[in-house]
Amino acid sequence: MSGRARVKARGIARSPSATEVGRTQAAPLPTSVDLSNNEASSSNGFLGTSRISTNDKYGISSGDAGSTSMERGVKNKQDFMDLSICTREKLAHVRDCKTGSSGIPVKLVTNLFNLDFPQDWQLYQYHVTYVPDLASRRLRIALLYSHSELSNKAKAFDGAILFLSQKLEEKVTELSSETQRGETIKMTITLKRELPSSSPVCIQVFNIIFRKILKKLSMYQIGRNFYNPSEPVEIPQHKLSLWPGFAISVSYFESKLLFSADVSYKVLRNETVLEFMTALCRRTGLTCFTQTCEKQLIGLIVLTRYNNRTYSIDDIDWSVKPTHTFQKRDGTEITYVDYYKQQYDITVSDLNQPMLVSLLKRKRNDNSEARLAHLIPELCFLTGLTDQATSDFQLMKAVAEKTRLPPSGRQQRLARLVDNIQRNTNARFELETWGLHFGSQISLTGRVVPSEKILMQDHICQPVSAADWSKDVRTCKILNARSLNTWLILCSDRTEYVAESFLNCLRRVAGSMGFNVDYPKIIKVQENPAAFVRAVQQYVDPDVQLVMCILPSNQKTYYDSIKKYLSSDCPVPSQCVLARTLNKQGMMMSIATKIAMQMTCKLGGELWAVEIPLKSLMVVGIDVCKDALSKDVMVVGCVASVNPGITRWFSRCILQRTMTDVADCLKVFMTGALNKWYKYNHDLPARIVVYRAGVGDGQLKTLVEYEVPQLLSSVAESSSNTSSRLSVIVVRKKCMPRFFTEMNRTVQNPPIGTVVDSEATRNEWYDFYLISQVACRGTVSPTYYNVIYDDNGLKPDHMQRLTFKLCHLYYNWPGIVSVPAPCQYAHKLTFLVAQSIHKEPSLELANHLFYL
Amino acid sequence: MASGHTPQRPLPDAKPTPRSREPRGTELGAPWDSRGPRPTVRAHEVGEPREEAQAQCSSVVDGNFEEVPRETAIQFKPPLYRQRYQFVKNLVDQHEPKKVADLGCGDTSLLRLLKVNPCIELLVGVDINEDKLRWRGDSLAPFMGDFLKPRDLNLTIILYHGSVVERDSRLLGFDLITCIELIEHLDSGDLARFPEVVFGYLSPSMIVISTPNSEFNPLFPSVTLRDSDHKFEWTRMEFQTWALYVANRYDYSVEFTGVGEPPAGAENVGYCTQIGIFQKNGGRATEACVSEQHDQHVYKAVFTTSYPSLQQERFFKLVLVNEVSQQVESLRVSHLPRRKEQDGEQGDKPKDIGGSKAPVPCFGPVFTEVEKAKIENSPKPFCVGDKFFVPLQRLLAYPRLNRLCANEEMMRSVIADSIPLSSDGSAVVTDLCNYFDEQFEF
Repeated sequence: MSGRARVKARGIARSPSATEVGRTQAAPLPTSVDLSNNEASSSNGFLGTSRISTNDKYGISSGDAGSTSMERGVKNKQDFMDLSICTREKLAHVRDCKTGSSGIPVKLVTNLFNLDFPQDWQLYQYHVTYVPDLASRRLRIALLYSHSELSNKAKAFDGAILFLSQKLEEKVTELSSETQRGETIKMTITLKRELPSSSPVCIQVFNIIFRKILKKLSMYQIGRNFYNPSEPVEIPQHKLSLWPGFAISVSYFESKLLFSADVSYKVLRNETVLEFMTALCRRTGLTCFTQTCEKQLIGLIVLTRYNNRTYSIDDIDWSVKPTHTFQKRDGTEITYVDYYKQQYDITVSDLNQPMLVSLLKRKRNDNSEARLAHLIPELCFLTGLTDQATSDFQLMKAVAEKTRLPPSGRQQRLARLVDNIQRNTNARFELETWGLHFGSQISLTGRVVPSEKILMQDHICQPVSAADWSKDVRTCKILNARSLNTWLILCSDRTEYVAESFLNCLRRVAGSMGFNVDYPKIIKVQENPAAFVRAVQQYVDPDVQLVMCILPSNQKTYYDSIKKYLSSDCPVPSQCVLARTLNKQGMMMSIATKIAMQMTCKLGGELWAVEIPLKSLMVVGIDVCKDALSKDVMVVGCVASVNPGITRWFSRCILQRTMTDVADCLKVFMTGALNKWYKYNHDLPARIVVYRAGVGDGQLKTLVEYEVPQLLSSVAESSSNTSSRLSVIVVRKKCMPRFFTEMNRTVQNPPIGTVVDSEATRNEWYDFYLISQVACRGTVSPTYYNVIYDDNGLKPDHMQRLTFKLCHLYYNWPGIVSVPAPCQYAHKLTFLVAQSIHKEPSLELANHLFYL
Repeated sequence: MASGHTPQRPLPDAKPTPRSREPRGTELGAPWDSRGPRPTVRAHEVGEPREEAQAQCSSVVDGNFEEVPRETAIQFKPPLYRQRYQFVKNLVDQHEPKKVADLGCGDTSLLRLLKVNPCIELLVGVDINEDKLRWRGDSLAPFMGDFLKPRDLNLTIILYHGSVVERDSRLLGFDLITCIELIEHLDSGDLARFPEVVFGYLSPSMIVISTPNSEFNPLFPSVTLRDSDHKFEWTRMEFQTWALYVANRYDYSVEFTGVGEPPAGAENVGYCTQIGIFQKNGGRATEACVSEQHDQHVYKAVFTTSYPSLQQERFFKLVLVNEVSQQVESLRVSHLPRRKEQDGEQGDKPKDIGGSKAPVPCFGPVFTEVEKAKIENSPKPFCVGDKFFVPLQRLLAYPRLNRLCANEEMMRSVIADSIPLSSDGSAVVTDLCNYFDEQFEF
């Protein structure tokens, strides 16, 4: 999108877009948008589906405040599923010690807290049966809870399984209760298990306890996070409300149980569907209103204000009005207007609005036909940010400004939360009945690995800051650039002038970086997307090296249609830039420099390198996300380095339907990448390190059982004698821990290159955190690495440093990025395909970073 | 569509068998048959009770406590407990009490039904079973939508753990106290103390008491008492005698009605649930007499929640700022220069295309002639360069904003730090074009 070029040119990070996949890597640049990483928990009834989901970056879609602990339990189970995959025990070289030792030690404060309980603390799991059996979970709970035997005991009960922190006297306890109808119900409570505090089940119960506690602090639960609705932050220009709150969890870290809390914001929209429709109708006019409206609304999640439920909009029924009647469950007919008046005392004011149609989720064990619900737009609030909203730079900037918190602010909020938990009598009572005690904040020691030198063509540069070395290398020649001789510029009449002046500037800066740019053919085009595509089709021939389009507007169709044509139909590298960007006063030089760099890369050039001690190493980045149009399609992006200097890349993007297909296509990709390597280096790489991003909760097992073997077999098959050694590392940008350094009585972000490989890590994994980005005004988030397979046998020190080095190699930004460059490339590629192209780009472009 | 409130109060009423259907109530005399004293309230509108036997039970879908009845069961439709709640709700609609307490509120179902009522500002539940109060108490907390679209008036909901025969001064001065299916659970000692506390001490403007009508019981198979915890079940005569005595003693007037009409042929047994509506003679309790009482706090507050409302500055501001932004936005969009063909009548007037076959969207605010004139006569929005101005006076002409805000000065002071204003503060300023406009060029 043309906006991107502008943003990049300014060196301002684009906020991670909500359209990006849940856990994949977002913006590369030093940014910190402190929004929640709330799970897309709206999928209440669809548990067991893949955790990859679109708009969960902002935790907005959810709002399933009505879901029960049981349903949430399943979500938790997915986390525990990951924890039960003990990969470290298979890695001999780190079995005893997975910590590194190089670098300068640094004292860090975390957002983790000790949870203390007696040494012999146990949880007792009981099973409760009812005779005669009761179908209603509510009734089961009510009967048990009202029994004097169990009152005043700390208990958690879901209708069948009962957890107590104190053992009942008997192994089997028989109780009887009477329903209010006078029926006697016998309840049998049987002890099933005694669980030590380290058991995954216990951790689940601890999480339930803490949810109860936060509710007692008058916080509002949405998904798994808790928000304070009485202190909203408003952004009226964009009709948004932000609720401050926390993401909390209790889990077992390296050696003990810890409570973690991180500040999170819930983005809510102060806009009903009716208001949205009315505004849309004004914009579009009548002719294309219904069509546009359906396109905009179908698939969105709405919140009904009267009963706090969320529904997805599956259709809009333009023929039904609020004055029409529907049949209630008891068979009587009633108008929608009367129904809402009677049931909720709500007066529907607009009697002409159409109805939203939602396919109701089926209850578990319910095989009956799915039911439809009609919803009144006036009573439905929009939730989540649309793709359009997240691509609105102004909107995202406003959100980021309101939610950005420096480390000190974050620390203050944490302190206040802990204080509240400890002061609130109800909360403390809850903790005490369970025998728990809230302990101190964890401090630990991290290490800062040495900074990296940037290798240019005839110069080795030690940047002042790894965050941005554009100034340090301004006068240096880039490593390798291909001359640009035959190329086109497409622009409209209005933008011709600015195109000319930009071209002059571009040629000047390109020349100084060692990139020869000849004069292009300039083609004037009418200002509409179709005209641009027609011009591209007409003028692009096999000799054209690159097409530059100066777009008159931000409208997505321009960018999408041009990229689609030039990425797959007629594979030629393209560069889009917004006319408005080129009009910026005093910015021309830096914009031209930025664009010149991108163009070099798109032609197959190399910008800079870092020192890589391993001589025959291929690094691979993999990312997965969902296609923006067809949500069941997964876009898999794979990028592999093809030279020992790690400056040239082979990139491929494949569309798949299921997770096993993903594993299969990785094999296809690896084989291709190894062939490429062989072609350039006349040998196979001795080592391969794969960084896998886009992994959702609960997917670790699939990775270990399918993807790793597929990668291994493709490596083994490509060579008859010695095969390359392989490491696979899961990369996650979203993780609970945060780290701060204490300085002058306040806390700050830790320095770039800080590694944490103890205490906040997990005992069953070979994992570490690395801080490889800068947050100027916010709090930096560490990136989490989990080495799930490793027969390279690199020492933890080396693995950490290699990872750090790779964070310097993303050519779209002259500075360090939050994930290793191959991951960032893979992310950029999947984003382009998922958002704009929607099909596999041509393999002819695979040797160029055409997607930058 | 599923209702948000899932009732849980059990339906103690069971099924008549055909043989027990002959009316046995002759000795009770005529005055209490179903054509007896007609209630002043609309009890007959509440349910459609004359349901067929074998009616399908809807309780399963509701997920409430009722088990699926045996095949021959007569079902009240809607279920009787719902008829009782609806009865109270109708009463609240009619009398618009500000402070309402439900004694013996159980799992708070009735409170959940009443909390949507805009007139109530204090809603209190009292029950002796603390676990039950805690168990569902959370569900009385405000919804997300209550924050996005706050009520007009404050609402506080408090649940107390305590007995109805204990005096707690926090329940003084109420407009309505309901005791739904409560008194039959009181033993004789408590029953004797009950009027003294509720009528004598709490002395609200209105009291509603419902209790089973034992004359209906013969219609049920082998039922002596409808619930094993019932200490008694009264005939109409017994209830009314008690009620009239109490009313007389504490200076209330009482009217009798009920819900759950008897099946055809058994009309003379009266309603399944009998209800007494007590109104204090001499109108509402005065605030003065409330403050004279000494504070006496014996109940334990188990749960307290307050709802956001327009009476709270923060939420008032939120709503006003949003409404202003929205109005400005809709005016702005209708001022946008159109690059494409002007497709007919556009702008802020909802289109009106009648008679066409295809459903044509036609919505948006509808104004009365008076409102239209008021808007027309107010200062018009205007453009200066790429900025768009909407005078505050114009905004105040729109009914939705006018409802919130009385005058320009007030509007200015509330929105000033959230919305950019012109230098003299008389108009809202915004960019004429924004990002979204480009996305909708066709």
